[in-house]
Amino acid sequence: MAQVELRGVTKSYDGKTTVIHGIDLEIRHGEFVVFVGPSGCGKSTLLRMIAGLETISGGEVRIDGRTVNDLPPRNRDIAMVFQDYALYPHKNLYENMAFGLRLRKTPEDAIRERVMNAAKLLRIDHMLERRPAALSGGQRQRVAIGRAIVREPKVFLFDEPLSNLDAQLRNEMRTEIKRLHQRLGATIIYVTHDQVEAMTLADRIAVLSAGHKMQYDTPDAIYHRPAALFVAGFTGAPPMNLVDCELAQGAADLGGVRVPLPAELAARGAGQPALKFGVRPENLRLVAAPGDVPVPAEVSLLEPLGAETLVTLKVGRAEVVARCPASFREPPGSAVTLHVAPAHLHLFDAASGAALH
Amino acid sequence: MAGASLIERLRDPSETALGVLLLAPAFLLLALIVVYPIGTLIFNSFFDLRLSGGSGMKFVGLENYLLVLEDADFWNATWNTVLITLITVPGALVAGLGLALLANLPFRRQWPVRLALLLPWALPLAFAGLIFAWFFHTEYGVVNDVVRRLGFGSEPTMWLLRPGWAFAAICLTIVWKTSSFMALILLAGLQMIPRSLYEAAQVDGATRWQQFWQITIPMLMPSIIVALIFRTITALQTFDIPYTMTKGGPGNATETLAMLIHKTTIDYLDVGYGSTLAVFMFVLSLAVTTVYLRRIGRQA
Repeated sequence: MAQVELRGVTKSYDGKTTVIHGIDLEIRHGEFVVFVGPSGCGKSTLLRMIAGLETISGGEVRIDGRTVNDLPPRNRDIAMVFQDYALYPHKNLYENMAFGLRLRKTPEDAIRERVMNAAKLLRIDHMLERRPAALSGGQRQRVAIGRAIVREPKVFLFDEPLSNLDAQLRNEMRTEIKRLHQRLGATIIYVTHDQVEAMTLADRIAVLSAGHKMQYDTPDAIYHRPAALFVAGFTGAPPMNLVDCELAQGAADLGGVRVPLPAELAARGAGQPALKFGVRPENLRLVAAPGDVPVPAEVSLLEPLGAETLVTLKVGRAEVVARCPASFREPPGSAVTLHVAPAHLHLFDAASGAALH
Repeated sequence: MAGASLIERLRDPSETALGVLLLAPAFLLLALIVVYPIGTLIFNSFFDLRLSGGSGMKFVGLENYLLVLEDADFWNATWNTVLITLITVPGALVAGLGLALLANLPFRRQWPVRLALLLPWALPLAFAGLIFAWFFHTEYGVVNDVVRRLGFGSEPTMWLLRPGWAFAAICLTIVWKTSSFMALILLAGLQMIPRSLYEAAQVDGATRWQQFWQITIPMLMPSIIVALIFRTITALQTFDIPYTMTKGGPGNATETLAMLIHKTTIDYLDVGYGSTLAVFMFVLSLAVTTVYLRRIGRQA
């Protein structure tokens, strides 16, 4: 277990193209931190900089208080699980897992013990003689994780480890990784583009966009108090409804329909030239609760998902999506009234993207 | 009626018939250019067939084969061929691997490196032989010039006129000429190795040297074996370079099996005996290829 600190870390190629812009992060002992963001946001580059597989153009990476900028990967005491597993095809599973220990001149009986323990933990102990080519994707990923575990490193780094697996296997492996973290209590930095993976696994999530850190907080805070328009739009499936609005008499005017805002929120929005109004689909309800504000709307599209139905509605000039019970049957064109708790309303400065809460 | 049914069958052949029909041209071509010449060769080896004597074609059974086994020239040429193979194949492999690793480095401009790699390969074998014959020329050669300038001996060495030196010069030329072919195959193999394997090894704690032995060499093994097969077969047939450099001399110190076959068949017009020698070379090549192919089969 270790703590990892990034201080003003930047990465640029040829001194011209900057892909990571001065990122500060602090990852505590035993914490599970997920870097999430769309393709090209720099999350994998940042992870590889921590691993020592990419040079650091500026700033500092510290592991347990020691600056590791100039240390090669082998001296950083980290283990990494790669997206394509990167198992050695010419070695059997046992040798794949034992390789790192052999290089560190670990005694043979200690190697055997550690490999067998990891293999049992990952339920691959019956196939240690096989080569990677004889394994399924899920089994390969287990071996890759096993190879990391046997090293007992200070920090585990996972680079999109589940993205090559099918949906069902991905869910299973996600649960296993979470269990593994609970059992090992290790410091884990995990990169993914899948916000569901991020939400389910992380103690804290760093949301990245175009090489900038947009927000670094708990999954709960990321979801319920997004610090930026990008974070609000990136998290949740479907994501938060984000609609252009104007402020009028303490309410958000969505083009004919006014949604009253809490006084504090309205005050923060006052004077901003352009605003975005935000509300999550599950916070738009058909049944009113005490204190809810009504929002008149017109049904335009139904998407039944079995357990629930996603309903696209017109609210003023805008379109929003609401998460409704599966029993919702109102046909397109019918008028309904949605209800929303004022605490669930968000307002963003459209120009800077910053949240106004 | 029978004619109609044949047309019918041709119009709608069964899967097997269609397969045979489509493969037939390739088979015929192979039969014409591979099976027929080899068959003729084996056939001729059982005859006394000298084009110079005008004695015609006389069946002698296995007599040519017995003669070959007692022929000191044959054993000398076979030994030379095997020795050239044993020296130049590993030599070209090591040099080729070095070149391939060099060409695989992330140079800003790749093409000059690749061009340098390709040039010796593109050069005809006989050219290479002639160029190196000039290098090693006793009076005008660059090698003697360099040796003299460096102050090693005042008397020029007769590189191509001393059996040992001539053999060494030929081997060096063959290694120079063939290592680029090795390098090309190995470079293709190197580029197939995923970068993430090296990264995983770095994280696992491997130094560059350990990465080379633990990742590069094992991953490159299939390419190495393919390169070795091709190179060994062509090494067993070595002809052009010794022919242009020494004509097999001094004496027959650098004569290879292919040169002996050429001399017997073309210079002495002894087609029967020459064919028998060629059968021996064919068997030698076949044996080596079989060993390699079995090795590949085991790996697969």
